[in-house]
Amino acid sequence: MSHPAKNRPLNPRRIGVITMHTFTQLVRMKVFYFLGVFAVILLGSNLFEIQDLGRPDLEGTDVLRSIRSWSLGTMTLFSVVIGVVATALLLPKDVEDRTLYTILAKPVPRLDYLVGKLGGVLLLIFVSLLVMDLLMAGVLALRTNLVVAEQVAAVTAAGWPAAEIEALRQDTLNQGPTWSLHGAVFVVFLRAAVIASTAMMISTFSTSTLFTTITGFLMYFIGNFQAEARGLYFGEGVSPLEKGAGLLVATIFPDFQLFNVIDNLIEGGHFEGGELPMLIALSGFYVVLHLFVSWIVFAEKEF
Amino acid sequence: MEPAVEIRNLVKEFRPAGRKEPLRAVDDVSLSIGAGEVYGLIGPNGSGKSTTMKALLGLVQPDSGSCRIFGNDSLQVDSRQQVGFLPENPYFYKHLSGAETLRFYGKLCGLRGAALEGRVKELLELVDLSEAGNRRLGGYSKGMLQRIGLAQALVQEPRLVILDEPTAGVDPIGSRQIRDLIFDLKKRGITVFLCSHLLEQVQEVCDRVGIIHRGRMVKEGPLDELLAVGDQTEIILRGASPELLEKIRALVSSDSGAELLRAGRPRTTLERLFLQETADRRKP
Repeated sequence: MSHPAKNRPLNPRRIGVITMHTFTQLVRMKVFYFLGVFAVILLGSNLFEIQDLGRPDLEGTDVLRSIRSWSLGTMTLFSVVIGVVATALLLPKDVEDRTLYTILAKPVPRLDYLVGKLGGVLLLIFVSLLVMDLLMAGVLALRTNLVVAEQVAAVTAAGWPAAEIEALRQDTLNQGPTWSLHGAVFVVFLRAAVIASTAMMISTFSTSTLFTTITGFLMYFIGNFQAEARGLYFGEGVSPLEKGAGLLVATIFPDFQLFNVIDNLIEGGHFEGGELPMLIALSGFYVVLHLFVSWIVFAEKEF
Repeated sequence: MEPAVEIRNLVKEFRPAGRKEPLRAVDDVSLSIGAGEVYGLIGPNGSGKSTTMKALLGLVQPDSGSCRIFGNDSLQVDSRQQVGFLPENPYFYKHLSGAETLRFYGKLCGLRGAALEGRVKELLELVDLSEAGNRRLGGYSKGMLQRIGLAQALVQEPRLVILDEPTAGVDPIGSRQIRDLIFDLKKRGITVFLCSHLLEQVQEVCDRVGIIHRGRMVKEGPLDELLAVGDQTEIILRGASPELLEKIRALVSSDSGAELLRAGRPRTTLERLFLQETADRRKP
């Protein structure tokens, strides 16, 4: 018997090849066009004050908060849609096109294939969010300087004391591009990573892209009520059936409410002690769990 | 010498939706392919050819029996280090060019840097796609796709190449190019395991053949032995005069145990005629 080279799972180089290939595939599917739309809207809003439409009372820090809010909202929309749709599309497409045969006929462990595919989607979301974050920071910096200049001129004319002017200036700067705001974008990424790994898990046992996409969005929706389900399980005076349902939802669905910390950050708040590391750890736990389940299913799958 | 492929008593059943009884796609199939041989597995649609190949590649798990590649269990990832596979009607990634496709598969097999680039160039030349190497696969013809598919199968210099209907949907010229490539692999000592519906082509390139029907191997052996009609002899003459032919006829009729069954001009095949009038005519 001849002894070929050992091809152990989780080879970083091989995973890197599949990750970069998946990233290229998505880029060539013109996913980045979304960034162009985002940039146009962001720059347009700065030039033409789109965020004031329908809200003529917006002024000062409200304008900045509005830019932060809809920028983060757009990033969430983009990352959730790409996380579900791109992941749901890639695996079944490889099976349908039989490209998967040629990949698995090479010395590629199935775990490496799954990790690489997920890695490619996450890399795309990360790069997209980074570009959007930089664009948002640039526009916010410009806008903040304008608002600060207007406010300082107005309150100086009104004869405010220097200390109060400085306090107002700091308050306004706090609504500009802060590290907490970048942290919020990172939380958007973490949430997208959990959603993408959920979609990957579903796609390993589903045979249809449509089913994976719908179920992926459904899991995201139900995941926003996971905390309530947990409360139901631990609550008193509930029937065994309700307890069972609560336990089922709390076990299967990731708790997406945890990521709502973003709302506080948009309002100018900061991470509370240990909040970000806990979110990183929890996201990592969910991604690894989903990958593990995906691997268990995919390892036995026949093509 | 260690066989390149060893399939022993392979059984594979599927359970189609809405059917109580399992469907036995492969039923106790055994075959062995020696290193350097070209082996053809032929059979009608749904006879179990592709399932046998998939079992050999670990894409489906046998219900019983075993598949080994150069002595290694084919369910182990390591066994695929020595295998190249071209599936039936492969699509590949349309967003990649021919060269990028080969680079991708080469990297999956651990090739890097100058060695990889050299191999990509060599393979593009081998399959006659050097000029189209930078074009995306979305613009490739069916024959070009089959050839780039064959090139990706060869990227890590495997000792065994598995081809599932390598000429399906390809025109006669493309089909002949693939046939020539198989001859080239044989010359280089690479084992080829192919299944095809084009029996003439199988006859042309294969050393040994297996006929599979309803999941069972019904005939297997060296092609010359299988095709030889035991009690007949063929004599082909060039420039024979009518007088000589008459003498031969008389000689045969004088032997009580022999009978002249047929005499006349041998016919070419339609494929050969087509190639002679198209591809060969274009050559300077």
